[in-house]
Amino acid sequence: MIPQPVFDLLQTGVSVIVGTRDSTLMPESTRAWGIRVGKNRHSVTIFLTEAISRKTIDNLKENGLVAISCTRPTDHVACQLKGRVRTIRPADRRDRERSSDWHREFVEELVAIGVPADLCEAWITSPALAIDIDVTDVFHQTPGPGAGEKV
Amino acid sequence: MENRLTQLEELWPCFQGIIPAALSTCSQDGTPNITFISQIHYVNPTHVAISHQFFNKTHRNVRENPLACAMMLDPRTLQAHRIYLRYQHSESSGPLFDSMSLQLQAIASHAGMTDVFRLRAADVYEVVRIERVDGFTRLPPAIPADRPSRLFVDQDLEFLRLLSERIHRADLLGDLLETTLRLLDDLFGFRHSMILLVDERNTKLFTIASRGYPENGVGSEVGIGEGLIGTVARARRALQLSAIDHSLRYARAVRDRAEAGGGADAVCREIPLPGLSSAAGQIAVPLLTRGRLIGVLAVESAEPLAFMAREDTLLTIVASHLGGCIEQLSRDTEESPQGTLARPQSSRAFTAPSRSRSFCFFPQDDCVFVDGEYLIRNVPGRILWRLLTRHRDEGRTEFSNRELRMDSWLGLPEIKDNLECRLILLRKRMEQKCPDIRLVPRGRGRFALETDVTIALSERDT
Repeated sequence: MIPQPVFDLLQTGVSVIVGTRDSTLMPESTRAWGIRVGKNRHSVTIFLTEAISRKTIDNLKENGLVAISCTRPTDHVACQLKGRVRTIRPADRRDRERSSDWHREFVEELVAIGVPADLCEAWITSPALAIDIDVTDVFHQTPGPGAGEKV
Repeated sequence: MENRLTQLEELWPCFQGIIPAALSTCSQDGTPNITFISQIHYVNPTHVAISHQFFNKTHRNVRENPLACAMMLDPRTLQAHRIYLRYQHSESSGPLFDSMSLQLQAIASHAGMTDVFRLRAADVYEVVRIERVDGFTRLPPAIPADRPSRLFVDQDLEFLRLLSERIHRADLLGDLLETTLRLLDDLFGFRHSMILLVDERNTKLFTIASRGYPENGVGSEVGIGEGLIGTVARARRALQLSAIDHSLRYARAVRDRAEAGGGADAVCREIPLPGLSSAAGQIAVPLLTRGRLIGVLAVESAEPLAFMAREDTLLTIVASHLGGCIEQLSRDTEESPQGTLARPQSSRAFTAPSRSRSFCFFPQDDCVFVDGEYLIRNVPGRILWRLLTRHRDEGRTEFSNRELRMDSWLGLPEIKDNLECRLILLRKRMEQKCPDIRLVPRGRGRFALETDVTIALSERDT
């Protein structure tokens, strides 16, 4: 279950990066365009565009294993979720609204640390796939002592 | 996905630590891991290095399975690139480690985290493949030909030659310092710069000259080992920092975690960055002469990408000339023939003073106030008081470094080369706080006290 502090963090404009691997154990990194915590707090949904995440999606179809790191840019508060993919589907209206809300909040975070808004608004965040993931582990990832400990 | 092979050098903006990189690894049992890396360091066209401090899972994973994938963003466009990596080895000493460690120490020192925030190792990775991530942004890619051309380097060499000739021509220490900073600005665009010299006890650096700041800051002090400048003084090696805002925020995040975890004893007071409040890039270079540290030359910019290897190299060359010139002029100060020194007294000295300045001396700490405002203390304070009392008691206006050196009341240190520096410091403080009383150089080793006002002197115990 995703604990309250992590749940609260994931409601903000966090930077969402996604790690997977293929059958040769070659890792792959990509960015997700937002994250939503499931109602039961045992799952999350992330949004990936095929153009930049083709290999990630292949890996997810192949073995389902995923690591997701979420960091708030203004203070580096971060967590890592590990889990297994349940479904890969086209994003629906509710997903698109969540991704759009997240993008707005993420841009606000980045602007606050000096990134020009027009640069982050130029990111191509749709059309996206919605990836539903069952979360198996949650880790602290704020840099410093304690990073990497299980929540 | 990509229409041509990208060279690692072309990704130079991604290696400045302005935007953290996403690094994914995988354990032997197949569990993926991903984390942000504050900075990926360029080593050579086929290798990069990643600092090992807290990222223990990454550290463990690559020792089980050496494969890794980093996603980096170009800070100019936020265009993404992936670099596929293979962990090769770890370095805990040597030039690469020293360079990464020094950078980390400077950031840690700024955030008061010296004991918590340290480099354990520099992990070196071979770059297996580079991929531009198309479909990431609507913006066009940045123009790749941003690296200095050969013609550009030639112009730098030409300017270095000019600067070298000009500073070697200076025959007064004050002129040397001003000329150097002015030429760094005019020729190379270093708008914000300062020169600090080591004090007699080798524990502090004091600012002797600056350019491009609202307050000249002359007389301000930095402890050896404190901040970027103090770190460079202690290490005696040049250091360049980019993305200071990001790095400090990162360091503060570490400190907050350490404090929350009960490690508050390891955290000392944060040292404020000297100079520009909006500094995003800094370079500090030690001034050395025959292996002895005499000071630090530092520049700052509000632009995060203003300083690269080129600027680092330029400043190191300038610093080596400057260090030698400072030592030479300090040594020569009392060796000029007497005949070249005397000059006519300024006509301003003969104008009838209509206003007055009131100086007060506190012998307890050799501190001088002017019109109730702090002016200067310690050795320069004593020197000023000696000059003012001689002026009052004997009507003296001309003075020599030699007589100050012989004056036992001043108690000047054995090391000869700091007297001229103290006089420059005093002159600049007076320019700032009481410009109507001036110490005017009269050639090497001599100077005049010029005043447009009536001077009143008093002494107080406390």
